Amino acid sequence: MTACAASLLEGIPERLGLAANTAWEEKGGALWLALDPPQVRELATAMNEIRARFLTATAYQPAGPESAYIEYHWDCDGQLLGFRFPLPARSIDSIYDLCEAADWIEREIHEGFAVDFVGREYEPLELRQGDTLGVNLREEAK
Amino acid sequence: MSYKIPMGPYHPALEEPYKLDLVCEGETVKDAKLHVGFNFRNIEHLAETRNYIQVVALLERVCGICSNVHTMTLCQAMEGLCGQTPPPRARYIRTIVAELERLHSHVLWAGVAAKLMGFKTMFMTCFEIREQVMDVLQAISGNRVNYAMNRIGGVNRDIEDPQAILKMVEALERGMVSTIIPIFTTSTTALSRCIGVGVLSKEKALSCGVVGPVARASGLPQDIRRAAPYAAYEELEFDVPVLPDGDVKARLLVRALEIMESCKIIRQALTKLPPGEINNGDRKPSFITGTSTSRLEGPRGEVIYSVSWEQGSNNPSRVHVRTPTYANMPAIRWMVIGARLADTPLIQASIDPCYSCTDR
Repeated sequence: MTACAASLLEGIPERLGLAANTAWEEKGGALWLALDPPQVRELATAMNEIRARFLTATAYQPAGPESAYIEYHWDCDGQLLGFRFPLPARSIDSIYDLCEAADWIEREIHEGFAVDFVGREYEPLELRQGDTLGVNLREEAK
Repeated sequence: MSYKIPMGPYHPALEEPYKLDLVCEGETVKDAKLHVGFNFRNIEHLAETRNYIQVVALLERVCGICSNVHTMTLCQAMEGLCGQTPPPRARYIRTIVAELERLHSHVLWAGVAAKLMGFKTMFMTCFEIREQVMDVLQAISGNRVNYAMNRIGGVNRDIEDPQAILKMVEALERGMVSTIIPIFTTSTTALSRCIGVGVLSKEKALSCGVVGPVARASGLPQDIRRAAPYAAYEELEFDVPVLPDGDVKARLLVRALEIMESCKIIRQALTKLPPGEINNGDRKPSFITGTSTSRLEGPRGEVIYSVSWEQGSNNPSRVHVRTPTYANMPAIRWMVIGARLADTPLIQASIDPCYSCTDR
């Protein structure tokens, strides 16, 4: 990690209301920070403040009893960052108004996993024909 | 009075489907909406039904131009989950093939751009040069599209004739320096279609999260080969061309300069190519439970793969692919606003879009 990234990331836990000694965990090629309670909009604002670059979000639907979850990735001066948010009610706040780059991936996850991003409107379908938004394609395919 | 022009789903520049609804006043574009997904294949979901060998072949088919970067990113992510590290020679071969792929992609794009400018002689010149790169890729891999070079823990084929590649690199550099760069930077035909057209400001580029040559042509110095080196890039010297203008000309020049840098990288990698094995043999990978994320700098920009696996499973439980065009395409809206309608095909093409990648 560059010195610049280290210095920028140092203040993030405190900025998000976590204990100052909360450590980033290195795992699977990224640095992870566990946010409890989940606060995706505060996270997006904090990432904007350090001029981190939004990369992508990935939705997961585990086969077992674990609820669906979503992982967000940002880049801070070449350092890959990861944040995981559980989706017990299959919904999460939209960050589209804070982070323009999240628009298409929010729409795609809504269309493919039926996850609702609260606070935004959806444009016509990206992925498939039809007129129904918010279908879980994995469930439909069964 | 404004009126709407639906452009597509038959693309005016490329043989791939996508739609742009343009709102115009006179000849000027006032707003635009993009629609993709006409060939959505849900490859991510299909990947969950493939084992660690089959999934490489499947993901190679995400794209017909940058097929190698997809398997390389996937293999790097899977290597993170099974603890395998490619031998040094394999890391260099991966670098060489990745740069050859960048060369043929960028030269192809220069040809397409020339055609859209109405400069068909230049189109033919570019394709003649690209053909030499394709011949080398075919000589290495036996294929011109899906090279099947990557596997977990290394590569499938060795580079047996480095001299042939060096000759191609020299010929390509000569063509770039004597023909392509001078014409694109001095010809009135080319410049009148490019300068000040389709501008994406640095701030907007950052906000949209654009990647690759599109970002670098808007003044953002981001390149994963430099920021988070992989394969053999840390051991090689190269520059990252960055231009501030954000217009079609800047995107054209960044790619032209990157061709020169790719030649430089390939020459160094061939010279330093270490001896030894090219993979870890037939050792079956043993995956741990978890998720691994890998990033590579493809010809069009940063490619991201997140791969999840459950220990003991034959198949990945999730494969997420973020392609560069997926990140770059939404920015087209901001590039075409204020542009002349006649310039919109070239502006769209200037991000080097790949709808196959986007509709993965």
